[in-house]
Amino acid sequence: MSDAKITTINFKEKAIELLPEGASFDACLTCGLCSSGCPASGIENMDPRKFIRMAMLGMDKELSTTPWVWTCTQCKRCQHVCPMNIDISQLVFLARGNWPKEKKPAGIVRSCELTRSTDSTSAMGLPPDDFVFVVNDVLEEVRELQPQFKNMQAPIDKKGAHFFVNQNSREPMSEPDEMVPLWKIFDIVGADWTYSSKGWAAENFCMFSGDEEAWYEVIKKRVDAANELECAVWLNTECGHSYYTMWNAVSRFGMETNFKIESLVTYYAQWIREGKLPVNSDWNVNNIKFTVQDPCQIVRKAYGDSIADDLRYVAKKLVGEENFIDMQPNRSANYCCGGGGGFLQAGMTEQRRIYGKRKFDQIMATRAEYVLTPCHNCHSQMEDIGHHYGGQYNVVHFWTLICLSLGILGENERTYLGPDLAEIGL
Amino acid sequence: MTQEKREFTTDLAVIGSGLAGMAASIFAINRNISTAQAGNTGAIAYTTGYLDLLGNTGTGSSGVIDDPWDGIRQLQVNQPGHPLAQIPEMDIRQAFTEFTSFLGECGIIYGTPGETNVRAITPAGTTKSTFSVPATMQAGVDAFARKATCVIIDFKGLRGFSARQVVANLKSEWPSLTAQRISFPDMISGEIYPEVMARALEVPATREKLGALIKDLRGEAEVIGMPAIMGMHNPDEVMADLSKLIGCPVFEIPTMPPSVPGIRLREMFEQVFPQKGLTLVPQQKVRSLDFSDKEVKLTLSDNYGPIIIHAKTVILATGRFLSGGLEAERDGIIEPLLNLPVTQPDSRDQWYQMTYMNKQGHEIHKCGIEVDDHFRPLNSEGGVVDSRLFAAGVILAHQDWIRGRCGAGVAIASAYKAVTEAEKVIQKSTRPE
Repeated sequence: MSDAKITTINFKEKAIELLPEGASFDACLTCGLCSSGCPASGIENMDPRKFIRMAMLGMDKELSTTPWVWTCTQCKRCQHVCPMNIDISQLVFLARGNWPKEKKPAGIVRSCELTRSTDSTSAMGLPPDDFVFVVNDVLEEVRELQPQFKNMQAPIDKKGAHFFVNQNSREPMSEPDEMVPLWKIFDIVGADWTYSSKGWAAENFCMFSGDEEAWYEVIKKRVDAANELECAVWLNTECGHSYYTMWNAVSRFGMETNFKIESLVTYYAQWIREGKLPVNSDWNVNNIKFTVQDPCQIVRKAYGDSIADDLRYVAKKLVGEENFIDMQPNRSANYCCGGGGGFLQAGMTEQRRIYGKRKFDQIMATRAEYVLTPCHNCHSQMEDIGHHYGGQYNVVHFWTLICLSLGILGENERTYLGPDLAEIGL
Repeated sequence: MTQEKREFTTDLAVIGSGLAGMAASIFAINRNISTAQAGNTGAIAYTTGYLDLLGNTGTGSSGVIDDPWDGIRQLQVNQPGHPLAQIPEMDIRQAFTEFTSFLGECGIIYGTPGETNVRAITPAGTTKSTFSVPATMQAGVDAFARKATCVIIDFKGLRGFSARQVVANLKSEWPSLTAQRISFPDMISGEIYPEVMARALEVPATREKLGALIKDLRGEAEVIGMPAIMGMHNPDEVMADLSKLIGCPVFEIPTMPPSVPGIRLREMFEQVFPQKGLTLVPQQKVRSLDFSDKEVKLTLSDNYGPIIIHAKTVILATGRFLSGGLEAERDGIIEPLLNLPVTQPDSRDQWYQMTYMNKQGHEIHKCGIEVDDHFRPLNSEGGVVDSRLFAAGVILAHQDWIRGRCGAGVAIASAYKAVTEAEKVIQKSTRPE
């Protein structure tokens, strides 16, 4: 451990600066709806109500040093249920940023450093050349082995393409076949898209480390890359925080963008409505039940219920209306799974699983066999708590199920399907 | 920036997400009126789940009344300005029936509103007069009435609900009442919240574990009482399951806020309203309201950007101080959205009595806005502010809903009235000249 000291923040002063219009900490009734509705309540002997009360009492030293700030995922559910609209996550962000780098959870810091280490902005440090190589290599293999896709494209640095598509590093780095279903979907709908060799990666742990300067720097690279390629839309694929980190940063830092920032989920819904993506649930002859996890970063923290409704529209088309069971609560009121905010990278496994118990109960209450989610952190966390608490469900990406439904899911693209679906459509 | 302005056009806009706003939306949905509702969370999550109509007229020795209908007739004589005194009895009955039927159809069953009030148990173990209770609480009302042999359960780590306290307060009236404390299954130690237990009980395996624990200590009890934790989205199913596992009826007692029955209502509304075609903008306060010849325009925003609602009619159901419908300032009380005149004591000195528990109640609790017979807010000259604007709920003057045990009564009945009046305006506007 290092000897670095954590300096003390004046939380009350900061809180007052950060207040949204019309909100007031004086108006906090201490009712506890925030804590009652927070999966991190009780971890490290802290909860959102306590945090606010301690801030108001000037207990800055305790708040500046509590490790609880790394167990709060900044999901903003506390604010969502607060009648006074008090945003505690902003104070958590401040507290995180105030920790000396040596004391912050090493996994988050390392991910941020790796993100800044190459022009890829990849949290796994995958350099541009390697990314280009992996994409081309996988593409070549698909063209060879899946004749239906012998003309499929995965363009890189194509100037003027409509979509600038981002990619979570996990795919090119450790499961490259998982990129293929996404490419197939673009191929089917005839999308004009491109990857960029620079700024292609999605994730941003600099934001979670509370390092505002580094957050800006990462986003700047991505914005510059998208501007340079003159794309109309920066398209966030199935990764929750990558949307938020870009969307929020653009207004937070006043950045100039010549493109719109959008989520692939809304396009899935649009393409299905337009008939471009002719999915159906005919494959689900055994009426396998599915539920959906709402990533906080695109639902509660950004689009709101409209994208949650798109998620459900797509899910129902894919699995059949009668085979979809909603989690409770859901949409903007859904719980964070506990995988976000850098929690998965923070090395606090025990705390993360305590946090995840709420999500586990929600999933078990649906009795669904599969959870669909367009978010990598949600995906990993729900898999982990499923194993830990003894759940029998599987977690899948939307792209997997879309291609399964279309009968175009390749043999190597089925990592996350259970044995009940492993053979379907092969 | 990628934020885009969203615009909605609707016949009715409801401002407020408390009980009155929710009731207004229900009545509008039932009448096929296209509706948009906005407003921050309101106080709905603080409700006990009990629906009061009128429990105290503030007259007589205790003022507690068993017959709310007779109480309303007394109000008509003694407090003619009270909102409940201005709504025909038939409408109030219809409003309650419609409201509770809607809740039942959406998964939270309520007892059919009847002729008299019932005595229901409070979180502190006292009783109060209320009108309609959720099915999960009915066995408590019955058990209290016949003083059945009963065990009240509480949980280690749960603050704000003590079985011993409930028993201590009720023991003289209810000798066969006893208390037991248990640990909730699979819950980490420390403070635990009713909301968390309720959600855990949505999982059948948790119900089985809890049912087994309670069965072991049931003894001679004919009925089991516990804090309100029997599920969040399917309380009646959870109750039926637990009752079967334990072998006798079980009931819930409301807890201190944040209480499950309130969260249940809020989450149910937020889920059901959009499914029924209503445009719901939850958690956001309306910033401004502009009346022009052709429309009423509401301006607000959420995380994603600005929202404009174009409406033909508007119901103001913004509540009192907690929800921001009224604001208390140094020199008086204001209505911040439209700056409507607020009926209030002449000076600040008269807001409160000198003693907190004064039987007369505090004058500040009767302040609010004035409306005409059609529940249209009035300006300082006594004229209608706008023929398309209506008001409902506890923002209305001349009622102390806390002391009168009439919060739900005022909210539901006035929302019913406001919606029926708004409907007339909407029909007139769509009829060809």
